[in-house]
Parts: sequence; C-alpha cells; structure tokens
Amino acid sequence: MSQPFIIDSHTHIGLYGRLPCPEMSVPERLAMMDRLGIALAIGSDQEALAEGGHAGLTLARRAYEESRGRLLAQGIFDPRAANRCLGELNDALGWAGLRGLKIHPTMHATPADAPSYAPAWHFAAAHDLPIMTHSWSASAHNPAQALSTPERFEPFIKQFPGVRFVLGHAGGRGRGRAEAVRLARTYSNVYLDFAGDIFCHRLIENLVAGVTAKKILFGSDFPWLRPEAHLTRVLLAPLSTAEQADILRHNAARVYKIEETPCSPST
Amino acid sequence: MIEQQIIRMVEARRQAVARLPWCDAGLWLGAPEGFPLAEELRLDALLDQAKTCGIRGGLVSHWLGKTVSPQVGNAALEVAALPPGCFAVLTGLPLTPGEAGPLPGSAPPPPWVKGVRIFPRAHEFPLTPWCLRGLCSWLTAHALPLFIWHTELQWSDLHSVARAFPQLAIVVESQPLKIIYHVRALWAVMQECPNISVEISNLANGALTWMASHFGSQRFVFGSFLPANDPLVPMGMVIDSGLSETDQALIAGGNLRRLIGEAAR
Repeated sequence: MSQPFIIDSHTHIGLYGRLPCPEMSVPERLAMMDRLGIALAIGSDQEALAEGGHAGLTLARRAYEESRGRLLAQGIFDPRAANRCLGELNDALGWAGLRGLKIHPTMHATPADAPSYAPAWHFAAAHDLPIMTHSWSASAHNPAQALSTPERFEPFIKQFPGVRFVLGHAGGRGRGRAEAVRLARTYSNVYLDFAGDIFCHRLIENLVAGVTAKKILFGSDFPWLRPEAHLTRVLLAPLSTAEQADILRHNAARVYKIEETPCSPST
Repeated sequence: MIEQQIIRMVEARRQAVARLPWCDAGLWLGAPEGFPLAEELRLDALLDQAKTCGIRGGLVSHWLGKTVSPQVGNAALEVAALPPGCFAVLTGLPLTPGEAGPLPGSAPPPPWVKGVRIFPRAHEFPLTPWCLRGLCSWLTAHALPLFIWHTELQWSDLHSVARAFPQLAIVVESQPLKIIYHVRALWAVMQECPNISVEISNLANGALTWMASHFGSQRFVFGSFLPANDPLVPMGMVIDSGLSETDQALIAGGNLRRLIGEAAR
C-alpha cells in the first residue's frame, strides 16, 4: 500500500466496558490504518456516548495531535446536556480536528424527533458542520433502538436542508434500512454509512442501487467492529472503480469537507 | 491514482479468495428469522451465491429446525438432496420417548449429516450434561460436532457440557447477534475447554487475530450465515487478519473439514 486514501467515517475513541478488545495506542492504530489503506478516521468519544453530558473532545484532541491529523473528531451533542455540549462545540470551532456533530438518541435516551435536538441542528446549520447519528431498526432485542429509527429524523432533515446528515448504520439490519434508503433517496442532504455489524448479504450493491454510490460512506464502527470486516465486501462488490472510490473516500471527503489529498503513511 | 490503488486492492483480494480453501459452516435454507430484508434462497441459488464468493462446499442448515421444529427442519434437509461437498447440520433435541420425525441421537447418522445444532433457549431445555447426555454421547460416538449459537447458551452451562464431554467437538457460532459483547466469556471458556471452537462470521472486532494467536488457528471455523449475511465479510476478516497463509487456510476451510472428517479438497 503506497499511500492510504480511504476515509473511515464512523469510528470511536476511548474504552467502553461492554466491549472487550485489546487497547490500541494511536501509533498501533495508525499502523493498522496504513496496512488497510485507511488515510483518515473520523470518530467520537465512547465515554461521552455512553454516559453523555459532554462533547467528548478532550481525548479527541489528544488523538488528533498524536496522529498528526489523521484521527478526526465528531463532537457529541447530548440533548440532556445541551448547553455544556454546545459550549464545548463552540470552543472547538476553528479547530481543524472537529469535523461534525454526533448524536445517539438510543444511548442518550431521547427520541430523535424530540425538540431538545433542535439546538444541534441549528448549530450545525450555523457553522456548516455535518451531523452523523446512530440509526437502527425497531428491535425486540433492544427496545431503546426505537428512539433512533430513521423516520424519526425526518422532521429535522426537512427543516434543515442545508445540514449534511449521515444515518450511521444505514438504519440497521431490519425495516429501518428501508426507511433509511427512502430518506437518502428523498433528501439531497441525507447520506448513509454501513458501519457496525450490518453484514447483510448484498448490502453494498443494494444500497448503491437504492441511493447511488454518491450517498454511501465507508465506516467500520471501530473498535466495536474492525475495518477488515467491511473492506473486502466493498472491493469485491459488483461496482465500478469510480463507485468504490466514492464510497471509500470521496463521499466522506465531501460530507466532512476534507481536502482531496491522500495522506502519507505513518511510517 | 486512487482508482489505480483500488484496482490493485481488488486484485489482491481476488487472488486471496481464490487461493484459500473456503468451506462454510453456515449456509442456511429457509426464511431467515430476524432479518426481514434478507432473501430466502433455494438450495441451488444458495450454493450458487456461495460459489460466486469462492466457497467450495460446506454445511447446510434449515431455519425451520429452529422456527418450527427440529423434525420439520431435518425433514426439509433430508429432501434437499445436497450435492457433493455439501453436508447437513441437523437440529437436535434431548430425546424423549415417542417423538416422531428425523431427530439425531438414536440410529447412526446418514452420510449426508455432518453435525447437529441445538437451540436450548428456543426449544426450552437446559444446556446441561444431565439433560444432553444422550445426544452428546451419540455425537461423540459418531465423531460429529455440536453447533450452538452464542445467543442460545449460558456460558457457565456451555463450560459444564464441554467439560463433561471432552471428546465432543463444540462449535460456538457468532450469530445471529454480534458476539463481541461476550468475548471475555468466550475467551475464558476456550481457555478452559480445548474442545470448543468458534465460528467467526460475527467475530468482527479483531478478536480473530489475537485469539488465534493465543489459542492457535485450529480453534476457528469459517462461516458466512448466508443468505442473511455476506460471505465477503468473514472472508475479508480472514484475508486481512495478518495471520499466516497456513493459519488463514485452516480457518477458511481446513479446520471445518477436519471437524467433519472430510479430507482437504
């Protein structure tokens, strides 16, 4: 691999007790990224997602510095702590590491269509930042996923057509995915990523058929899931090279306003 | 330039897929439960999809064995007429007198059967040595592996059964929900019980690499969970695992063929 170019648009930093995996230093993570051809990863703080209450940018700033700009950040907006999150996000404006907002209605126990999310959308619109959200299908296994079903986001998507909006996990494995595809087809500002264990057969080609390759972002959900799980299914999917390039890099570059220059490996 | 790199990456993966001896522990007939957007495939379409991905054979199971009854699922497999290189995994139960239908555990298994899967939670029986003694003894006597989804077990129960039947090969399957929350338990039970292997289709958090480095690659079995899931996911996990070519070949197919008594093809 001469020059990594892929953008992993859905990752996390920090530890999380439910997820057993070996700790990985920033250099180790960069080595993994180099091996797989990944130039940049955009991530959010796991502790701020799980516990809420703040934007989770302290660890993100360290990761950005240590990685020399290869580990980018989404600041978390928890509607239960809107003022603190917006304050931290406001302080981070102008920091090159900040590439957008992350919301997680399921973990933050707030339905995605709740008015308390409005400040995040206003903030994103005012500062030309994208929002990426957790989205999933209604689930008997995990009833809280009902807070993040794609159709719940539609009122805000309509109200803020200028905010680039990414439905993380593309609505999950169930009926939510059909809703996510509908939203991405209907609204020019809606994108999908297939991070997580959305390992469904023919997913990539079906998403491309449903919304075009211009609307799909490569994402792993690292460290929950590894990029290795998703890379081959993109590379061996029946797509053109141009479509693969869109999914692996160009779409994320457009959504997160990343310059179209692949980076150098870490070593 | 990016396009040229993609072309090189595609070619490297095509070559890796072609050189590894993929044998799939998780090919499924019937309507996938819990995957409403998944398409049920007939046997010829299922095997065609597998072949398209480079899979050269494997074990076929039937959803009806879980969702309706083991007897119905096993009967559906019996009439499916599996081609050479493909074998069935029957659904098993702790036998009680007078149960009709093709259940494993009494007569010798037919040659087209190479394993048994149990669903203790779905079928309401305890995963314990005292309840499963007959089935586990029969499996051991016929050198057939026992398959079980991680969502169907309590880890301490699995530990008890694996210790009670040390000659029984047990394959813990990582579907239908991700197993990554349970990797601590999986790690510990594999440490304690050398007769436990793991099917990898949803072991997607990198544990394949570090667990195989610790336990040896012979404890890991390729499965796709097709048609609910995409075989290219676990294939990519193997190809990009960083493990040696020998280890990759064992995980891709060598280990499963050993477990079911089939020579490498």
